[in-house]
Amino acid sequence: MPDLLATFEGNAREAAADVFQVGGSAAEIHSEVQRLAEGSKSIVLGLGEFIARTVVEELRQIPNVIAEPSDEQLSAASVGVSDAFAGVASSGSVCIAMGPPLVAAASLLMPLHIVLLPANRIVARPRDVFDPACLGGEGLRRNLVFITGPSATADMGPLVRGVHGPHRLQILILRDGDGY
Amino acid sequence: MGTEPKGLAALPSPRAVANKSDKRRLLEAIRMALEIQSPAVRRNTQTFNRNRYKATAALPDYDALKDHARQIKEDAIARLPELIEQIRETVASRGGHVFLAVTAEEACRYVRDTCVHHGARLIVKGKSITSEEIHLNRVLEAAGIEVAESDLAEFILQVADEQPSHIIAPALHYSRERITALFKRKFQTDLPLDTGEELTKFAREILRQKFLHADIGITGANLLAADTGTMMLVESEGNIRMTSLLPPVHIAVAGVEKIIPTRREMAVFLELLAASGTGQKLTSYTSFLSPPLNDPPFALPGKPRKTREFHLVLIDNGRMRMRDDAVFRETLYCIRCSACLNSCANFETVGGHAFGGETYSGGIGGSWEAGTGKLENAGFSELCSGCSRCVNQCPVRVDVPWLNENLRSRLNHAAGPSALSTTLEALCSAPEQDAQAPAGKIFFGNYHWFAEWGSRFAWAANALTNTGAARSAMERWLGVDRRRVLPPFPKRTLVEAALRLNTQTGVSVPRETREPAARAALFADVFTNYGLPERGLATLRVLRAMNVDVVVSDSLPEGRAALSQGLLTSASEYARKAAAHLEHFLEGGRAIIVVEPSSLAMFRRDARHLLENAEQFERLCSSAFEPVEYVTRLLAAFHRTAKEFFDVSQSPVGKRLFYHSHCQQKTIGCDAPTETLLRNLGFDVATSSVECCGMAGSFGYKKDFYELSMAVGEDLFQQVRAADEGGEPRALVASGTSCTEQLHAGLGRRVIHPIELLAAILREPVAALD
Repeated sequence: MPDLLATFEGNAREAAADVFQVGGSAAEIHSEVQRLAEGSKSIVLGLGEFIARTVVEELRQIPNVIAEPSDEQLSAASVGVSDAFAGVASSGSVCIAMGPPLVAAASLLMPLHIVLLPANRIVARPRDVFDPACLGGEGLRRNLVFITGPSATADMGPLVRGVHGPHRLQILILRDGDGY
Repeated sequence: MGTEPKGLAALPSPRAVANKSDKRRLLEAIRMALEIQSPAVRRNTQTFNRNRYKATAALPDYDALKDHARQIKEDAIARLPELIEQIRETVASRGGHVFLAVTAEEACRYVRDTCVHHGARLIVKGKSITSEEIHLNRVLEAAGIEVAESDLAEFILQVADEQPSHIIAPALHYSRERITALFKRKFQTDLPLDTGEELTKFAREILRQKFLHADIGITGANLLAADTGTMMLVESEGNIRMTSLLPPVHIAVAGVEKIIPTRREMAVFLELLAASGTGQKLTSYTSFLSPPLNDPPFALPGKPRKTREFHLVLIDNGRMRMRDDAVFRETLYCIRCSACLNSCANFETVGGHAFGGETYSGGIGGSWEAGTGKLENAGFSELCSGCSRCVNQCPVRVDVPWLNENLRSRLNHAAGPSALSTTLEALCSAPEQDAQAPAGKIFFGNYHWFAEWGSRFAWAANALTNTGAARSAMERWLGVDRRRVLPPFPKRTLVEAALRLNTQTGVSVPRETREPAARAALFADVFTNYGLPERGLATLRVLRAMNVDVVVSDSLPEGRAALSQGLLTSASEYARKAAAHLEHFLEGGRAIIVVEPSSLAMFRRDARHLLENAEQFERLCSSAFEPVEYVTRLLAAFHRTAKEFFDVSQSPVGKRLFYHSHCQQKTIGCDAPTETLLRNLGFDVATSSVECCGMAGSFGYKKDFYELSMAVGEDLFQQVRAADEGGEPRALVASGTSCTEQLHAGLGRRVIHPIELLAAILREPVAALD
């Protein structure tokens, strides 16, 4: 597990994501997310499946979180927060499972995307997500997106990060505690 | 835009030369690409190429993944009708709609009708090359519907009205500066747009509004799973996610070959596609969606919130016909990663507007264009020189050169015979079936015949061939460019010279009475025998000094030249005759030594398609060696070191070398022995990183391709010049006959073969192997 974690961190940074580790207590997660989202006018939470209820409740207390955003608010929000179904060590990807409201939007529409990744959800390689023995076999049933770094393009000449999707990707690894 | 050279006709627009059914358009497109697009194409494809080598090397199970991917695709295409039925049912059971379009027109009509039915005014599209193939945008726009291409490359192409030049980066022929100029012109803006960031922001702001207001989203699909209806979508910008998430109606258009049996099998392609394409571990976004999605579609104030709808449009458009074709079925295994484009020296130099058709480009592009359109549209596949560098790069192991050689053969037949081609064919008694080919192809494909006669009368042939009149005739009738220097015929061929060394052809005469360490036969390939016999003689000298009993075979064509011209019947006949001749040596326990790498590659790779049985191919393949490769094997087998036999201090060309290995030699994996041996001996060896020198057998001799060939070569020449810095100019060492000619043409310096260098530094007396 420590190997997976270190490999994940290295590869996620190589893919231009920022990676932070935090103990899993609701209060710690709250303060870390608040710090990362500091200065943002509107925050959208698209999470709840893979982290504890208590953490979700705690995050709702962050100022500027829009509880039930309209589509217009969604299109103008500045931060999206998701919880990851899986992390992939070899590529530094986070895997988001869509379905619950706002999960897809929070991982796509805002310039800053913050992902909460429980450390015990990190697998070795992308293909492991499709292993029926892995993560309860959910990877074979859900609508998924593997996210590797912020959106990017080389179509305009040099590599540019930040195109239609998020310009920055920040991954918060939840080490242990009551986060999950 | 590039400045136009004086005295030449105006350069055509890319669209005007997209269809290559007329050869003049191919030549115009090459001129246009060399003039305008080449620097951007080269920079971008070579970046992809470097990154792919790095990424695939980092995959611990790369070869196993390729085997697995190939097996999945073979199985899927074999069961395709069944899988189509299965995905129809799975998608329908989820509430989606499936339409199987037999033709492009049917597909476009279905999409248009669906859009009209929904009263759609604005459609946002993710990148889909298949939608380019069926010309979907034209049909939708004709119905008064606005289509917004949201992939930034497709956005550029839409603004410029150009076809894609690359399958994963369709606007890769545009430099940043040219995009700035294009946007300023088309959008009449005063914004500076001087950086990639500014250009991206400019396009993003336009497109964000399109995403939010679109009535329908259209995407392609990288793969489809029959068991769950899951589509795999690979991208970096986020536009495909937007397109599939925000509008209420999602239409996916995909060729039927994208279907694989199960979602679980998609896992095999995940890393393989990213590594082979952009050279990344994964691209920014790889989605696995089984639409329709649960999320409510996006609705801005004033817009009704509709329920989601999903349409999967499966496109045949020639694919089932390709499936029935024993050769072109392989095209359907293609996962459209672009590895065969990026590893191709010709493609790296001109890109897909020259080396491509209306939609598809590069090595695999000809098969797609012919399969989904007309055979004549694949005329650009002539730019595949058969260098084979793409072969090991394909994640599903498609033999791209073989497809192009078959296209060439069919194009030859479609063209019909001319009086000259029939005469030439009769002259060199080539198989009648190939008389259909143009005269130039018969000449290059039967070069052995001309070489044999030329060398019989070498004094006359050498005096004649480089006269203005002869060169002008050869250029006019055979397409041999007069700017190329034709190598002179030697006074004695390899076979004749070997005879003089008191060795009878084909008969083993041990030089000494002691037991030889090994037995071998040197195959007198046409290029070495009639062109550079000194390389064969050096091989004899080195091997005999090492106590190898080596004889020389007859000189006969092995079919390489004929194969490269698409003269498949001749190639087959020549390969079989050569294999039968060599069979005697194999039975006598001899290894086969081949100096010319393209001839060796025939025995090690291509002959599998041409020989009658697989066992014969296996026997030949496992017993044929490149000279230095063979020396290395002998040293290892006898636990000896190279330094016991060769002394670097005797080098007539000094210690600083530049070694360029031949393209086909690299593909069959026998470039490393030479590099390693030379380094172990104490040479300071710089090597080239180019995929091919640009000559590629006969390719660079052709009048039509001379400029392209020299432009490709320039990359190699620059690497030599750069490696020369900081010391004496390096001695040029090359293993291929045509690379030797190309290096000589570009740098005006002598080029030797590694085995000639080894022969020159043999220690005397030699401590022979025993």
